[in-house]
This record gives sequence, C-alpha cells and structure tokens, in this order.
Amino acid sequence: MDSQIKKIHQQLVSKQISCTALVQEKLDLLKQNTYNSVNSVLDTLALELAAKVDAKIANGETIGLLEGIPFGIKDVYMVQGTYTTASSELLRNYKSPYTATAIQKLLDAGAIPLVKENCDSFGHGSSSENTIFGAVKNAVNPELVGGGSSGGSAVNVAKDYTVFSIGGDTGGSIRQPAGYNHIYGLKPTYGRISRYGLMAYASSTDCVGPLAKSIEDIRIVLNVMSGKDPKDQTSIVSDEITEEAIATSSIKTVGYFKNFIESEAINPKIKADFLATIEKIKAKGIEVKELDFFKSDILVSTYYTLAMAETASNLSRLDGTNYGNRIEGDNLIDSYAVTRSENFSEETKRRIVGGNQVLSQGFSDEIYLKGLALRDQISENFSEDFKEADVILSPVTPSTPPKIGDSLKDPLAMYLSDAYTVGFSLGQLPTLTVPQGTTTGLQITAAKNNDELVMQFANFLKDTI
Amino acid sequence: MSKIMTVDILSSIKGAQPSESVNQLFEVIKNAHPSNENSLNNVNHNCVSVGDLREDVVVESSAIEKEIIIENFPNKKNGFLVVAKVIEG
Repeated sequence: MDSQIKKIHQQLVSKQISCTALVQEKLDLLKQNTYNSVNSVLDTLALELAAKVDAKIANGETIGLLEGIPFGIKDVYMVQGTYTTASSELLRNYKSPYTATAIQKLLDAGAIPLVKENCDSFGHGSSSENTIFGAVKNAVNPELVGGGSSGGSAVNVAKDYTVFSIGGDTGGSIRQPAGYNHIYGLKPTYGRISRYGLMAYASSTDCVGPLAKSIEDIRIVLNVMSGKDPKDQTSIVSDEITEEAIATSSIKTVGYFKNFIESEAINPKIKADFLATIEKIKAKGIEVKELDFFKSDILVSTYYTLAMAETASNLSRLDGTNYGNRIEGDNLIDSYAVTRSENFSEETKRRIVGGNQVLSQGFSDEIYLKGLALRDQISENFSEDFKEADVILSPVTPSTPPKIGDSLKDPLAMYLSDAYTVGFSLGQLPTLTVPQGTTTGLQITAAKNNDELVMQFANFLKDTI
Repeated sequence: MSKIMTVDILSSIKGAQPSESVNQLFEVIKNAHPSNENSLNNVNHNCVSVGDLREDVVVESSAIEKEIIIENFPNKKNGFLVVAKVIEG
C-alpha cells in the first residue's frame, strides 16, 4: 500500500476533503467500534485542531505533510490534560500533567491526536487482554486476540480508524500486534526516539515506535519523532532517513536463525512460509546464511528476568500517595499495600513480585546478574552476526494469534510466545514487522542505528514476495 | 541481625506470592552457563558521560501542569491535600 499520509495530504491541499470532515469520520468510527481498541476519544481537542487546519487551507497557507493527519496514541503516553490510564485500575482517572516528547513533536508537526488506545496494563502482556477496558479483538478475526501490548494501536491502524498510531515496544509490543493484524510496526534503535513521557515498563528496552500501513508512513513518522532529547539522557542523535535512501536495496547478505525455524514450537505453516520466502530471496541473487543463536527459553528467561526487575523498580512509585486510586489502610504501609494489591492486575503483580525476587539478597547474584551477563553475550552474538549478514530475517511469532481468553490461562505459554521478538529488544536493535511472508508477518533486523537498512529491505521484500 | 523480608513486603502488595510460571523462567537462568558471569555491560552503553549531562536548573511548571497535579491528588479536605497517616497517634 502507498503512503496514506501523502494521499490525505493531497486531498486536504486540493480541498477534496476538509480536515474537520476527515477527523469527524474517524472519531465516529472509533466511537462505534466493537474491537475494544479505544480507552478514550480526544474529540474536543481533535476537532479544534482540525478547524485550525481547515482555516489555514482556506486562507491559502501552506500546510506541512503531517498537518491534519489523524493518529492514535497507546494509552501509556502523556498528553497534557488527557486521561492516561495505562489500561489500569490504579490510573483509571489519572490525567497527564505534561506531554511526551515524541507526541509533542507530532503535535508540533500538525498531526491530530484522536484517541488513547487500549493495551496491556503498563505494557504487561502479549495479547491486550490484561486491561480494564476489555480484551482487544483482532482486526482480521475478532475471535482472536489483537496482540500486545500495543493491541489497540495495531487494530486501529488495520481498521483505518487512525492513519498511524504510536505504540511502545519493550519485548515485541509493537512488532507482534503489527504481525497479528497485518500491518507495519517499527521498533527503532533504542534511544532514537525519546522515552520522556512514556510510562516506564523496562527502561533499558522501552522503545517508542510507529504502526502504519506503509513503509513510507513509518519513515515519515519516525523522522519526525527521532532526535536527542535533554529530557531522556539515553536518547541519541540520528540522521533523517530520506525516501531516496530506502528506495533501492543495497543488501547483499541475509541471515536467519536456524534454531528459530527448527524449533518444535513453530507452527508448520509459519515454518514452511518462512522457508519459501528465503527461497524467493535467494532467487533474487541475495546470499542467505544460517546463523546460530541462543535457545528460545534462554532468550525469554533473560528478557523477563531483566524486564521484571526493571518494572518492579519503575512501578514502585505507584503507591497512591500523590496520584492514582488510593485505598486508605490502617497506616501508611498498609495503605501502600492495599492500594497496590487492589489496583494492579494479576499479571502486573506477577511481574512486580518476580522483579523483587530477582533483586533481593541471595537471588540477585544467581539470577539478576547472570541475566545481565547473558544479555551481554546475546548482544555480542548480534555483533558477530552483523559481520556475516546485512540484515537478519525472522518470523514475528512461532504461532498464530490465540483465541481470546487462552493466554490468560497460561502465563508461561504467553511468555514463551515472545521467543522471536525479545532477543532484538535485549540487543536494542532496529526491527520492523512487515505484513508479508508468514501469516503473522516477518521481522527485519539490522545492526544498531541501521534503521535505514531495515526499511530498505522492507521495500525490497514488498516487491519480491 | 538478620531479617527475612517476604515478597509481599518487598513489593508492597498485600498477600503477594511468587508465581510458579515466573519461577520456571528463573530456573532456566540458574541453569544457564554464560561464558562470563560478571556482566561488564560492555555492549549496550546507555550511561551518560558527565560532559553530556543536561543543565542542572529548576524549571518552573506551567500553571496548567500545577493545576492537573493537584487535580490528580487522591484525597482533599478543606482545601488541604490529605496524605495517608504517617505518624501513629
């Protein structure tokens, strides 16, 4: 599919449509939708902004490419004056006092925020069922999960309720729902986009990223949000990626992890489709290399050990003292314990408790520090891989989307379903899901800061398979 | 003096218990053999150099930001923000 942003921009400039009518149409679709993809609709703000865009066009003023383009925001981003619930009971009535840097950049470019989108509470989940707003339904088959944690964002894009949405990816939360709903979803290089104003889950892998229906729209939105931000000291300087730079592919070698494909856990159809894709790539004269990688259980366990430790620390601030749904107990300590016990979901509590276990005396050496050492090894493995291959191609998930209700019954199975996404998070590598190749898509990964290469190869695959 | 703290105390979550599913993940790590058990964090450099720190200045919050912070406060009485009882009577 071609760029929706450019198409709408042309329609606005040529006065084929008005921005107000466009925004109103999308708001109506969001309000009427039955996919549970919406936590709150920003109708007043969106219509005010749309009227300003229409006035500019009527006055003959030039508008920017993103001006008037409606978008969605995962409900973990601060947008001043809007409810920011993280799909949790604790923050059900919490309003953002300030705006996240990534979102502010989009607002400055004139994009129009329509909706705060449903997701797993605090990003804790792979199905968008861990939410107080009802399980997000898959855009292709509503009996299945929408994926997660950015499930509402993926479904809104897939159903054309938003032109693009901003998700958050800690261990696959943009890439997996993008795959489940047949759209594009990018986890950029860690630090390329500021995390300021994103509710922290696991700070060392949390990434801001776009979901959209075309590579070009991903590129446009990524460029606007990227850049060093004094408010996030892990953010990095990056160059703009031009349309020309990703138009033709310079990729000569592609690698894939043979243990991902030889795993007993992979769905036979996904395996066959992936291998068929590899053959098509070879037929184009590209060298394909089989690479060795860590076993899935090591990847998943390393990721969850570190992510739980970080989330236990990050969420310790949520005690109901200054904000959130405080429940008064017998004393201060009791108030904290009751507030957190009653307001956190079972999955969030599981992760906080797990995190405190690994950080506690006696366990930290045996588990947490060992997890950090494994992460180093995983990253070193990637460094070696990118001496061998320009990009790495993987399936997004070993299986097709589960039915709604199944993931909640078996947390371990849910954790293991992240086997193909978490490694790239630990390596902080740019990885894009493309809606091709297998029924849940393909992931393209490049070395750190090579986001451009990922999009180049996506364009190549678009024309090849 | 040794004092064992249980996970419900460590987590400030009443009645919290360790999870069997999560413990299975930890078992995998316990049984893993990294080539170097001491993490040097020599791959992912996310620390900031002292020469690149942001300016250490106080930034005044906007009026709307202050207003929303007060609006978010969970308990108010007679114009005061009420916190949980800290000092026992």
